[in-house]
Amino acid sequence: MIELENLTVKLGRREILHGISCRLGVSGKGKAVGLLGPNGAGKSTLILTLLGFLRPSAGRASILGFDCRRRCSEARSRIGYMPENDSFIGDMSAVTFVRQMAELSGLPPEAALEKTHQILFHVGLGEARYRELRTYSLGMKQMAKLAQAIVHGPELVILDEPTNGLDPAARRRMLKLITEMKNEQGMNVLVCSHLLRDIEQVCDEAVIMKDGRIVHHCNLEEERRSNRSFVELEVTGDDSHLRAALPDIGAEGVPEGLGRWRIVLPPGVEVDAIWNLVGRQNLLVRKLTHRRDSLEEIFLKAMGHLTHTPGERAAN
Amino acid sequence: MAVYKRGYRRYAGPLTGSWTRFLVLPRYAWRRLYQQRLVLLLTIVAFVWPLLCGGFIYLSNHVELLQGLDQEFKQFIQVDGRFFSVFMYVQAGFAVFLAALAGPSLIAPDLANNALPLYLSRPLTRWTYALARLTVLVGMLSVVTWIPGLILFGLQVGLAGGSWFRANWTLGTGMFLGFVIWLLILSLVAMASSAYVKWRIVAAAVSLAFFFILSGVGAMIQEVLRVNWGHIINPAWTVNQIWCVLLGVPVLEGPGAGASAIALTVMALLLVLVIERKLRPVEVVK
Repeated sequence: MIELENLTVKLGRREILHGISCRLGVSGKGKAVGLLGPNGAGKSTLILTLLGFLRPSAGRASILGFDCRRRCSEARSRIGYMPENDSFIGDMSAVTFVRQMAELSGLPPEAALEKTHQILFHVGLGEARYRELRTYSLGMKQMAKLAQAIVHGPELVILDEPTNGLDPAARRRMLKLITEMKNEQGMNVLVCSHLLRDIEQVCDEAVIMKDGRIVHHCNLEEERRSNRSFVELEVTGDDSHLRAALPDIGAEGVPEGLGRWRIVLPPGVEVDAIWNLVGRQNLLVRKLTHRRDSLEEIFLKAMGHLTHTPGERAAN
Repeated sequence: MAVYKRGYRRYAGPLTGSWTRFLVLPRYAWRRLYQQRLVLLLTIVAFVWPLLCGGFIYLSNHVELLQGLDQEFKQFIQVDGRFFSVFMYVQAGFAVFLAALAGPSLIAPDLANNALPLYLSRPLTRWTYALARLTVLVGMLSVVTWIPGLILFGLQVGLAGGSWFRANWTLGTGMFLGFVIWLLILSLVAMASSAYVKWRIVAAAVSLAFFFILSGVGAMIQEVLRVNWGHIINPAWTVNQIWCVLLGVPVLEGPGAGASAIALTVMALLLVLVIERKLRPVEVVK
């Protein structure tokens, strides 16, 4: 989806991106990549470079196999972009605005009109589609921006802070639409956000940036899978034989006293095995939770606020 | 099936040609511009003078209707370079006001509403965007300038016959070229002021002031320094010098058509530079 090779971007004399190299979204169609980082990390600069708005001073960036500098037009014809700030033409209705954008992306006028109506209903602006955009609320403007970004059915959609300023209901709707875009329409999505929960909810990969560098790149699905093997268990009864019995199911455990255990399950072993084992030992389960690293912990670790995740300490 | 029942599916049909997509912008812009009453009114008023000129051409080719008039007047109503230059002066004036009225509503709202990233994230470069906006203005001003001009020229050819055309064909090409130069300058001024000042009304004022102020400054240089080249900074004056040569009319005192053409080229390049500096999808703080 996106390849960066030693990408360096300077604005004036300031170097904003310092030789970034990575490959994002290589796992196929319908994937979402989250771009995380504190303010000034270089997220927006990276997006603007990918769109061809800023020129790299060294290295290269490519989208869907097209160099962002040399084959900018081909790359842009395959992407949709939803900017962070208000971007619209105030005295246009949503239908005119989205239709014009669809035609600029190459749709014939009749097809553009049809797709415009479809997409405006899809994002929930069907009843307000003939109103001028300046009369829209913030949430409606966000939806109109999303509509213009996907009306032409791009292969890759770049969303810059899509849930900015949305109330909880509108935020849920936006995240649902993003999930549908990738799961049902097969679009790849690059989401730039500072809201970790949004990224965790919709993305398959996450890239964490800091000071113009990528400090962490993880496959969230793998993280979820691997972290599922950390189990926190609290039992009542004589648990003195539990440690010896855990290797029977291939697991390892550390007692923490008062019936509390931290157990690491190997790949392929489900939590049911713990239930069965504890049952055979005649122990009563008071609490069983899958302890997993949250994206927040990964983020804080990447930012240098945590030295390691609690899950790692339990495993060791 | 009703559109709201269909649901959204990605478009997978044929696409339009990439070279013609920039014409989408003029199409939408013209529709919006002609919805403005003032623009429509000024355009209609701008047709009054060509209609009068059409009547003049008709009269000049029907001497039997002028029998009661004296010989001097009959000699006055000739369709020649002077006639077309007068026609051009009036229409060029209308074009100035029309450009000032319509031009700022093309780029200024896009900059004020931060719409450029949306346009330029599509297969559209800054230059094609600027070309599209230029097409809007040149197309709109053509309706009141060289198009009626060529219709008048065609009317005269039709009434006066092939011999008049063979002797005066340069008037048609000269008028067309002269108007094209003027429209380019007008459009660039309107676009540059619109790109520089994001507030539409101020941009319109700047666009008009450009011509009046440079005309005034040119006259001041002329008078204060007692030179004959002061008008070189006045775009209207320099264009007039070129028109005079194109229509075979005596040029005014001062720098000739060559110097005027150079001055206009420099002016156009400066305007393009302003547009290039301002038309950016993102404002970079260095």
